[in-house]
Amino acid sequence: MKNLSRRDFLKLSTNSLLALAGLLGLGNILRFLSYQYDPVPPSEFEIGPATDYPQNSHKVLAHIPAIVIHDQKGLRAMSLTCTHLGCTVEQRNFGFECPCHSSRYDINGKILKGPANTDLKKLRVVKSEDGQLHLFMT
Amino acid sequence: MFTTPKLTAKSTNPNFNRLAIALFVTIFLLFATLLNIPVAQASPQTQTGTPTPQATPTFDLQRLEKPVLDSTNTQQLKEGSLIYWGVCMACHGDRGQGLTEEWKGAFGKEDQNCWNVGCHGYDHPPQGFFIPKDKAMPAVAGMGSLTRFQNAQELHDFILANMPWWDPGKLTDEKTWQVTSYILSLKKVMPSKFELSATNASAIRTQDAVPPPANDRPAIFVLLGILTLAGVGMIAQELQRGQIRLPERPNFFHHLHPPTIPVLQARFRYTLGAGGLAILLCLVLLVTGILEMFYYIPTPEHAGVSVEVITSLVPFGGLIRNLHFWAAQALMIVASIHLLRIFLTGAYARHRRLNYLIGLGMLVLILLLDFTGYVLRWDEGIRWALVVGTNLLKTIPWVGGSLYQLAIGGPEPSHSTLERFYTWHIFVLTMGLIVLGGWHIFRVRRDGGVAVPPPHLRKDNNRISRFDLVRREMLIMGIAGLLLILIAILFPAPIERPITQASVDLHNARAPWFFLWVQQLLKLGNPFLWGVLTPVLLLVALAAIPYILPQTHESELGQWFPRGNRLAQILLIVIAVTIIILTILAILPTTQL
Repeated sequence: MKNLSRRDFLKLSTNSLLALAGLLGLGNILRFLSYQYDPVPPSEFEIGPATDYPQNSHKVLAHIPAIVIHDQKGLRAMSLTCTHLGCTVEQRNFGFECPCHSSRYDINGKILKGPANTDLKKLRVVKSEDGQLHLFMT
Repeated sequence: MFTTPKLTAKSTNPNFNRLAIALFVTIFLLFATLLNIPVAQASPQTQTGTPTPQATPTFDLQRLEKPVLDSTNTQQLKEGSLIYWGVCMACHGDRGQGLTEEWKGAFGKEDQNCWNVGCHGYDHPPQGFFIPKDKAMPAVAGMGSLTRFQNAQELHDFILANMPWWDPGKLTDEKTWQVTSYILSLKKVMPSKFELSATNASAIRTQDAVPPPANDRPAIFVLLGILTLAGVGMIAQELQRGQIRLPERPNFFHHLHPPTIPVLQARFRYTLGAGGLAILLCLVLLVTGILEMFYYIPTPEHAGVSVEVITSLVPFGGLIRNLHFWAAQALMIVASIHLLRIFLTGAYARHRRLNYLIGLGMLVLILLLDFTGYVLRWDEGIRWALVVGTNLLKTIPWVGGSLYQLAIGGPEPSHSTLERFYTWHIFVLTMGLIVLGGWHIFRVRRDGGVAVPPPHLRKDNNRISRFDLVRREMLIMGIAGLLLILIAILFPAPIERPITQASVDLHNARAPWFFLWVQQLLKLGNPFLWGVLTPVLLLVALAAIPYILPQTHESELGQWFPRGNRLAQILLIVIAVTIIILTILAILPTTQL
């Protein structure tokens, strides 16, 4: 680079400036595209009074999606989102099956067959003072 | 034939270079000045400093004191806190909690029972009032509050019309914005350093905080600074070229041009660079338009809001929208100048007539693109232009009804209309313009380039190479591009509040500027005659001129105001002046009758 002429130097610096501008421009476009206006989905749901969930019943809440089970062990809830790639699992006689890649879970959400390798997520249900149930996603 | 040294001598026209350098330096200095202007926009901090809530004592005059917001808050928020304190706080609480027992407890003993006996009666100065026993004093902050309002605009409208309840209408529009801003900051959904107005409030939700707007100004100026430096580098290279030039291999852009063209075709003062500028503007429109599509939602409920989101919240969104707007307006002007140039130099003669017609078709497409794009804003500013523009179709005999339905997709403007205008704008008309544009450029090449006399009639038979041509084009496009960005930074594109069910009074409903002359014609009477027939006949006349009126002789080509087509020139100048006068008349205020 000893013999860099003035012309070559100018050309090199101009082109590097243009390249830098291009990179910055791309970065700016990425910033433009990454703005998220939509509200984040709620982490807590009001799911109605506790009387809607009598002993020995289970109720699917399709909009969450989750299932609330009330049995001998008490009131508990479970996410119905497959832990593999997020499809909603469907009820079968053995428990739950994912319609996308056929992962299977038992009634308690325990994994029976892959490709998923973790159990269905357990969700926290809390009864408030006025008897309303609250479901927490985290 | 030409030789290389001769070419280089042409390329370093000192006047041209000096002019270019001067322009670049001016633009650079302008940017430098802009950098020092304090920018009233948000930095990505999270939450406004609402006055720190006090612990909850039972008797606390401190809570009744004037709130003091520090200087990091907007003036609007500070004013709003005072209005809230003076007007709203008694009922809605110091933290927006509403008239709770806890809040009553903060009042003086003698005031605490006033709700029952009405001691805030009219004799209780100042501004004493009864608090109605049957009315709840709702909380304005906290869970479950403000649920009846989707966004700041709706909250503002409600406050303006109904608050304070004992004297609705007491607050001015500006004061209402101030207090709206403060209430939303109590609810912790107000982005910091954000000034609410009718043109951005629909984007501010009442139930979830929106991500705060980023301060994108520094990034814009850094980018522009680098681009300007690169421009200076290009000029410096130009000056370095001197007498000797190394052989260059043509790149892609060189290959888009003929190896050489006559110098007569490359004179800026002949072509005005209008065709090339139009190409640049189309590219800008394409890129910015695609970026806008990432956020734009073509439904009546969301269109106006999404435009506000792009403009006020998305990083660089305002710049991109302004660029799209100004490039569109500039394209309209550049295309008109191009048309004028073609007429006033008689360049449409003979075998170029077809390309002239293609160009005229492109002008129509540009008008339609501009109009449909304008309607996509779906705000109060476009409401009547849409109604008038589509109702004009109805006035056409026989086919009017069908045309109207075709255009708006239903019995009256609705979501179908917006969907159709969107499809026309981003796809059909754009594709049409790209196809016609490609054909237009091809025909320019096929017809022998810009109109000049044939070789044996030329005064100057020198030619310039595509290397010089491309360099000149880059230079002009660079300057034009920087100017466009400068305009986009300094002058925001128009925006109004989104169209809602309740119509807002408009002081004057004006057509978009390129249709102002039609609006003025429409005041003359019969809408079909003046609004449809006249513009269509004008277009037909323009298309027919090359086929009817005398043309230029080929020896006269390549110069302004040739003798051959004087009649056409005069006719066009009359048309242009008429349109300009009509436009000015439409802008002039009409109320002083």
